[in-house]
Amino acid sequence: MSHVESNDPADQTLLYCEKPEWQDVTPIPQYDGVNPIAPIFYTPEYKDATEYFRAVVEKDEISERVLQLTLDIIQMNPAHYSAWQYRYRTIIALKRPLEAELTLMDVLAIQFLKTYQVWHHRRLVLTALYESSTSDSASSPSSNAAGAAAAAKELAFITRALETDTKNYHTWSYRQWLLAFFDDEALWEGELPYVERLLEADVRNNSAWHHRFFVVFGRVRAKGEVDLEEVLKRELSYTKDQIAFAPNNPSAWNYLRGILERNKKPYSDLQTFVEPYTVPASSSTDEGIVDLDNPRPGPGAQLPCVAALEFLADIHEKAGGEQTKQAIEIWKSLANEHDTMRKKYWEFRVKEASA
Amino acid sequence: MTAVERNWKPTPTDGVSSPTSTLQASTEEILKARYLSVTLNAASSNSPPSTPFEPTLHKNSHIQYLLRNLRQGFPARYISQAASQPWLIFWTLQGFCVLGVGLDGQTKKQAVDTLLAMQHPEGGFCGGPGQAAHLLPTYAAVSALAIVGQPGEGGGWDKINREKMYDFFMSLKQPDGSFLVAHHAEVDVRGMYCLLAVATLLNILTPELVAGTSEFIATCQTYEGGFCNASFPGWAQHHSSTSPIDPSIPRPPLGEAHGGYTFCGTASWAFLQPYIKTSYRGSGNVKPEVNLKALLRWTVQMQGSSIELGGFKGRTNKLVDGCYSWWVGGCAGVVEGLIGEGVGKSEDKAHATDVPTEPDGEWDDVDDALFNRRGLQEYVLYAGQHHAGGLIDKPPKPSDSYHTLYCLAGLSAAQHRVQPSSSRRETLSAAWTAHAEAEFDGLRKEAFISALSWVEEEGASLYVGGEKNRLNATHPLFNLTVTHSEGIMAHFYRQTIPSRFTKKST
Repeated sequence: MSHVESNDPADQTLLYCEKPEWQDVTPIPQYDGVNPIAPIFYTPEYKDATEYFRAVVEKDEISERVLQLTLDIIQMNPAHYSAWQYRYRTIIALKRPLEAELTLMDVLAIQFLKTYQVWHHRRLVLTALYESSTSDSASSPSSNAAGAAAAAKELAFITRALETDTKNYHTWSYRQWLLAFFDDEALWEGELPYVERLLEADVRNNSAWHHRFFVVFGRVRAKGEVDLEEVLKRELSYTKDQIAFAPNNPSAWNYLRGILERNKKPYSDLQTFVEPYTVPASSSTDEGIVDLDNPRPGPGAQLPCVAALEFLADIHEKAGGEQTKQAIEIWKSLANEHDTMRKKYWEFRVKEASA
Repeated sequence: MTAVERNWKPTPTDGVSSPTSTLQASTEEILKARYLSVTLNAASSNSPPSTPFEPTLHKNSHIQYLLRNLRQGFPARYISQAASQPWLIFWTLQGFCVLGVGLDGQTKKQAVDTLLAMQHPEGGFCGGPGQAAHLLPTYAAVSALAIVGQPGEGGGWDKINREKMYDFFMSLKQPDGSFLVAHHAEVDVRGMYCLLAVATLLNILTPELVAGTSEFIATCQTYEGGFCNASFPGWAQHHSSTSPIDPSIPRPPLGEAHGGYTFCGTASWAFLQPYIKTSYRGSGNVKPEVNLKALLRWTVQMQGSSIELGGFKGRTNKLVDGCYSWWVGGCAGVVEGLIGEGVGKSEDKAHATDVPTEPDGEWDDVDDALFNRRGLQEYVLYAGQHHAGGLIDKPPKPSDSYHTLYCLAGLSAAQHRVQPSSSRRETLSAAWTAHAEAEFDGLRKEAFISALSWVEEEGASLYVGGEKNRLNATHPLFNLTVTHSEGIMAHFYRQTIPSRFTKKST
């Protein structure tokens, strides 16, 4: 290949206005006849490259040299969505090898983890790769071998990226898209063990909890193929264990609420489990009894736990009648003692239940 | 409250340390230290020791910060924002508005010219001149024009190409009711919010534009109650590419509930109410639903504890950050408005006559906000201000344009109550002038009234640190002042808006 893009700064010492191969292009300044308010003071390199980029856009040039230009701009400003957009169009129009594009972008993705565009570009390229390797439009992504192989490689890359930042929003969102889009059994099967490894490292990683929900309940293909009651039992058991391990963890409680709602199960199913978490630590009397269905708070637990109180109040509210009073008592204790920052909210709950 | 009285109880860890709890604990130490240093500095300076300490919003230093950005521009590290130039202008101009600073005619003209240089010939606005059109800068540019523009020659408003903008919007529409943020770009709830805000301001909302969008927004609510950035359309689309999407096929959320997306999802839901009200009735289509109770719960759960100074987080088990003062603190007010409308608010507190305005603390009994307004104000005042001007995520971060606006807007949202008012709705409805040639008059009228019925409740303001810290109220859906929202909407809907201020007898 005659024209290889380069990340090497040595190749970028010349400005575009000094490069002989760009002499045919007249750069376009950012503002023409306008004295801009609140301007950004660009470096000479950025100003130079973007002036040539505007000229390229103006004449709609699709060429090899545009690839280097867009890469240069992206490296200076990875949020330059127009440069990404133009790069994608050019890659497709020139039929550039798509695997190579992904590899080239690996470094950028890790370097600019928090940029929308690095992840979206990968998604576009991966989709194009899948579409180019199938002529049968009726087939699903998972039945396409080349697509599946690329997806597996991509999943491994995402895992590496998440090692850098275990809560990166874009990376997680992209991972979920990848799984759903390719919907390949081989991709899905490693996800639950992966989530468990992450939660073992940090039981408070809410991104990992959300991913668990996505993996267990988001996948619709599995509908009817698995026993949902068994899945729910497993999830309840896992979540209760995590709550016992570290009770004051809103991620685990939200997950617990989420799986009950999703499966239309009443919170009251968990009343026996929840109660020991709603009283001060020393007040339990049956220390010797081990109930595997209802793991008790661990030794360091700081009780009562606000999320447990809220959960118990919800059980009482749902039951209604006499139990409404118990719910109100709990909300008042949250408002005035255990969770005073949310006083107004707990008072609102009292008001709603009393109405 | 003195430093001694404040509750410094750390977030409980149950004796289990993890990366999240370690980072949380060190942040709590930083916030506590900041609070103590602010109060101690004040104690050692000139204030009489007998008066309880009240934090100060350093308005002048923030105004100077904004002025420097406006007049001198931004240093090279802002190259990362070169594709967000309308945002830099909007953050700065709206910062002035919230701070109560007016702009001179020359500055306004210069801002209008700069913004118009970023309009794309094929519709919409770009992140900078010569870039591609994108929904996010389109919202920022139109909002900035609402502040500095006016009708007529050189005013900018009549230079907005609404026909092409509509075409641009339609060109981004996806089969699942969502929109790309730009051609070849991602689907994202932020883009939906920007599109709906602009369509509402400019009077280009049509049933065709938003068909399916409500359903899409509803699918972005996660099991936690907040919204994520997008849902997965594929399973619904695989079934058939030609027929409309079957709403019963799951479209799982991608990504967890997040403050920024939750604001955008919630405000979008509010902007879609006029369409939902006028289009589902008798249509046989199933109305999409958002679980408002779960949304409210998530929103208030994001408020940090006393040791976190009452600031807001953007996600469960993440850190507080000044920008979520607006994205989540501001969102709480929108959720309240939606819930209030849902249950048919019987009493209307807006325009209550002759309620005296008392400084700070006197109004706890009438404060019916569902988040802790005092707490949020304390976070911004203690932890959100940079000594050299501008506002921040948290100490020791530097100030930037983005945090400056969203800390100020959040502080404003905690000071004022801007809620839908049924009496304002009636007034606007009675004053509506139908234009015979306008299509979808019912929808347009409802969009106009619904947006502008959000007005400040008199006598419901609360200023931590006293009235000297007062900021202007900002519209919870647009993040423009109500005056600017009314001005641009009156123009594009060709309406005369009755005054919000009742004449006081002297």
